[in-house]
This record gives sequence, structure tokens and C-alpha cells, in this order.
Amino acid sequence: MVKTSKGMNIPLNRAEGDLEIRVEIEDGIITEAWSSGTMFRGFEEMMRGRGALDGLVVTPRVCGICSITHLTAAVEALDAIAGITPPDNARRLRNLALMVETIQSDVRQAILMFMVDFANREAYQDHPLGEEAQYRYSPLEGRAAIEVIRESKLLLQIVAIIGGQWPHTSFMVPGGVTSIPEISKILQCRIILERFCSWYERSILGCSRERWQEIRSRNDLTAWLDENPAHRESEVGFFLRFSRLAGLHSLGIGPNRFLSYGNFPLPLETAIKSRGERLLNAGFAVGTEVSSFEERKITEDISHSWFQQGTKPLHPFSGITKPYASGQSSQLYSWIKAPRYGGEVVETGPLAEMVVAGNPLFQDIIAKDGPSVFARELARLTRPAHLLGPMAIWINELLDRREDGFYRTVKSIPDGEGAGLIQAARGALGHWVKVQDGKISHYQIITPTSWNGSPRDEQGIRGAWEEALIGTPIKDIKNPVEAGHVVRSFDPCLVCAVHCLQKAKKKGSLLLGFNR
Amino acid sequence: MKRHIICIGNRFVPKDAAGTAVFDRLQEMHPLPAGIEIIDGGMAGLNLLPLLEQGGRVVFVDAVNGFSGPGEIVLLDHQEIVGSLGDSHFDHSAGLAYVLKVLPQVYDGDLPEEIILVGLEGACTPQMIERAAALSITIAEHGLKDLR
Repeated sequence: MVKTSKGMNIPLNRAEGDLEIRVEIEDGIITEAWSSGTMFRGFEEMMRGRGALDGLVVTPRVCGICSITHLTAAVEALDAIAGITPPDNARRLRNLALMVETIQSDVRQAILMFMVDFANREAYQDHPLGEEAQYRYSPLEGRAAIEVIRESKLLLQIVAIIGGQWPHTSFMVPGGVTSIPEISKILQCRIILERFCSWYERSILGCSRERWQEIRSRNDLTAWLDENPAHRESEVGFFLRFSRLAGLHSLGIGPNRFLSYGNFPLPLETAIKSRGERLLNAGFAVGTEVSSFEERKITEDISHSWFQQGTKPLHPFSGITKPYASGQSSQLYSWIKAPRYGGEVVETGPLAEMVVAGNPLFQDIIAKDGPSVFARELARLTRPAHLLGPMAIWINELLDRREDGFYRTVKSIPDGEGAGLIQAARGALGHWVKVQDGKISHYQIITPTSWNGSPRDEQGIRGAWEEALIGTPIKDIKNPVEAGHVVRSFDPCLVCAVHCLQKAKKKGSLLLGFNR
Repeated sequence: MKRHIICIGNRFVPKDAAGTAVFDRLQEMHPLPAGIEIIDGGMAGLNLLPLLEQGGRVVFVDAVNGFSGPGEIVLLDHQEIVGSLGDSHFDHSAGLAYVLKVLPQVYDGDLPEEIILVGLEGACTPQMIERAAALSITIAEHGLKDLR
């Protein structure tokens, strides 16, 4: 007999901001999913009529985790409007700060937000590695949890040095950056980076970054794991062993479409070689089939979102953000719009970056097994291995060229339009800005979570993690750790909301149920 | 002795904007007593840790919920803040209690000698912001003793 569960609220062990996910479960398998962003963000409305430069101060406060990231997108949009290319040293400093934010986000998300679920006692009491997972990842005391907080905190000092202020630096300005650190400070950055690298290699990878990059296939990965105890005992090694037994390879497939805007514009003169103008190339992939990225193919569909209806999907330069939450309540269910690329639903994030950039290991995993929770999280945990090397090179280039320029004068922002498209830690982030009479006349932001956590579009096609949830087995409806793995493998971030200190705070709950 | 007043919250979410409103008020109150530094902590969460390893006294100012009636200001010491930690999981909204709970395990440098929270309950009137700003300066200078 098919057992159908509708209208059930399933508690999850913690909430992720303003997100609710409803599912239908038949015979212990998720058969339908709706993802609902429950807070209206409204930054777009807030920006209109403000001074052209205000995005630099306002948008970094869109998110408490990704403030450098929003600053970067905002400044690149203004660079584009001003038609200016920042000098090489500005590129290096901007890239370094963004890389620090990305890396610290990667290791924190992996250990503190994803792998902490391996320490879910009820779910994994019979897992052979369950007890060890407790020791590693238990909140507030797990060895890896504490290590990652300490090491990511130290790494962040690089941003404090480059940005000159902590927190809320606004060191990026159209035309470059506001200052360049003294030689002694750049040397300090190098020491901080070297320390972080050695911790990352020892604890997270269990091998050198060079050894990790020799892994070019699924088979190489298996061989690497069996090669020596340091590999098995590292966080990556433990993740591989735990995932295999927990079946994360077959969980959370998703749309198998990947989008990356590319990231880190290269200085004109640098030792780093890349196929394009950025360290990571932009692109769109269907499976492992990569095609070039065309910005004009981006549209936002609002057919299932709480916005005034009646318009076809629009490009973000023409996008309209008019909240409208009454009527059609059965069809509309989210404050998130549904971004689409060429009309298709895509996922974005570290895995998409790896696939689009042609990383052999992840191309092989996708070709053989397809996307999964496993692939997505492995990409995140190991992304720093690909960033730390270029960071060291750029720090050394800063030392050699300290006296070169870091700013090209931009007296004022002319009228016009421009977009800042970058990769945030969670994936593709875009700011689309129009300036008229010296004021912002239009500002649209599409965040990575809009891509990954979008609702359905006018064709009724599910968003990326809605799709990824389909087919997920739920062993215990009261402790649906599998659904948590799927959603968290995308690292959802729904714009930080209220987080004041609350007395006897009730246990967070992510609703997995039919009734909102 | 170093004395930091760190105002936290989200200035774009009214329910969470109390700390940043106090920050704005403090910025207007020049000159502040010597040696007091005010910081817009925003939503930095764990990224506030570097500010907590410079010794001295640290006064946080933030919106709170459920400690007393709306419109009131509560003063909490270090232990009371940590004691309010319900769910010990880290997430994107990891708050002050989480930060202080992990602090002893992750700090480099010197722990603050005293950590105090000036908490604002409910919707904030200009009078409340004014009182909280004055109170945070008094506490930054003299600590919590004799105040409750």
C-alpha cells in the first residue's frame, strides 16, 4: 500500500534563516517539494534614487557572511558603468579579499553546517563512523569544529589588513582600491596565508595541494584514500568514508545544469595563466557539456513568486520588483524570484565552478554518477586547494610591485548601466545597476540562493533544490536528516534576518510539511 | 585598558536594528570619553572574534527578546549571555551566545576582562536608544558593578 504523507510538519534540527520547505512523502520517499523564501528582501526598492556609489555601502550589509562578496559585485558594476579597468594591484587586493571570504565560508560551511549533521546521534547511531563523527563535529566542542573556527578567524586577518577596517570595510571603489598595505603588512599576509595553508593541507586534505590536484578521476580518488592513513584521517578522507556508507552519492541529484559567472579577474601582468580573463572561467554546462556564458540569457520568472504578476520573465536590467502577496495563494509561494538561464533551471556553487572550469575529477564524477550531495560538498571542501596557490602568487606580486598604482581616478559615475557578475562562496552573484542623473535608477541583485532555491517557473519546472529533493528517502520523518543533507549541500543563505539574543530560544525548525 | 562598544544587528530589519541605532547615536556623541572605541558589528557573527582577543572591557549592544518587557533595557554579564544559548548548532544566524561560548577554545591574544551586553527589548523609542547609548558608555568606563 502506498502511504502518502501530506500536511506534515517535520522538524529539522535547525533553521536556515527565512526558508521553509514543504514536501510530500510517499512510502518514505519525497515525491514533491516546494521551497519558499519567507522574507521580502526589498533591497532593490531601497536602492532606487540613492547616490550612484551607495551600493558600495548598502549592499555589503545584504549579508553578514558575504559582505566582501557583495562589495565586489557592487564595485564591478560601477567599474563597468565608468568604463574603467582597475590597475593590477587593485585586482590583486580585491581578489585576495574575496578569496579569503570564500575560503573561510567553505571550511566553515563544510564542517560547521554540513558535516555537523554526521554527528546527528539519532540518525547515525548505527553508522560505523557515527561515534567518530561526534568527536569531530559536535557543535561547540568537536575537534574539527573548534579548529575550523580558530583557523578561519586567523585567515580573516588578511581582509582586516587589506580593508583597513574590520568589520564593514569599503576599501573597494570604482577605479580600484582606497589604499595599499605597507610592505610589512603584506609580509604579514603572507605569513597568515602560509599558516592557513599548512593547516588546510594537514587537517582538511591530509596531503599537499599539489598531490590533491593530481586526482583526476573517481578511481584516482579511491586510490588516494587508500594510499595512506593521513589521507583517510583528514576531513576530506573522513567525508569520503562517511559519505560512502551514508549513500550521499545517490542523494540530491538536481537539474544537472550548472552555471558559473567565472571569478577573479586576472591582473594584466601576472604569473597566473588562465584560458580567459579570469582565474575561473564563466560558463554553462549541461552535465559535463560546457558552453560559453551569455549574460543576456539570464531572466527572472515571477510566475510562482509573491510579486505583481502579468510580466514575462525579464532580464535583470528590466526586472521589476513589486511585492504583491494577495490572491493566487495556491500558485504563489515564495519571495524569491525564479532566475533561469536560457529558460532553464540551473544549479550554481562550487560544484558548478568545478564542472564549468573543466576540473577533471568533478567532470569524471558528474559523467559517471551525476550530481549529488557528495559531489557538491566535496567540491566545496576542496575548493580552497585551488585558490590558495594563486593567493600566494598575488601576495608575492604585491611585494614585488608595491609601488605600482592601485587606483585610477574616477571623478564621478556617468549615467549608464553595468553589471557586476562574480562567484560568491555559494555561487553566481550579480548586481545589475543603472545610473541616471547621478542617481541609481535601477538595482537588481540575483543571489546564488535565488538560483539554487528558486520556486517553479511558468513551465512549472522546479527550482534546483526542489528538484534535488525529489526521490530523497526519509527514514525518520521526525529527524529527516537526508532532506537536510540535500538542501545544505547547496549551502542555503536567505539573507540574514533577525538574529537577536533570545531567552530560552526554542529549537529552530525548518518546516518540512505541506501546510504553510 | 581597552574599552570597546560593539553594536550588533541588522540595520535593515527593524526588529534587529536596535544595536545599529545605538551605534549611530554614539557616533553623534563626540567626544566620547578617552579610550572608548565604538564598532558597528553588524551581522559579523563569528567574525567578531578578532575584537574579543584584545583584553579590556567589551560592551555589546543588541536587540534581545524575552528577558524583560518591551521597552526595557537589560544588562547581562558574560555567563548570562552564554546561558541563553539554546540551540548549540552553528548556522548563518549564529549569534552572540555562540560566539562567546566558543571564544575560550579559539582565542589568540588576551580574553576581555569583562564582557557585558546592553540588551534592548521590543520596539525602540528614541528615548530608549538615548538611554542605551549613555548606559553603554557608563558600563564601558566603569563595568557592571553597582549598576544592578
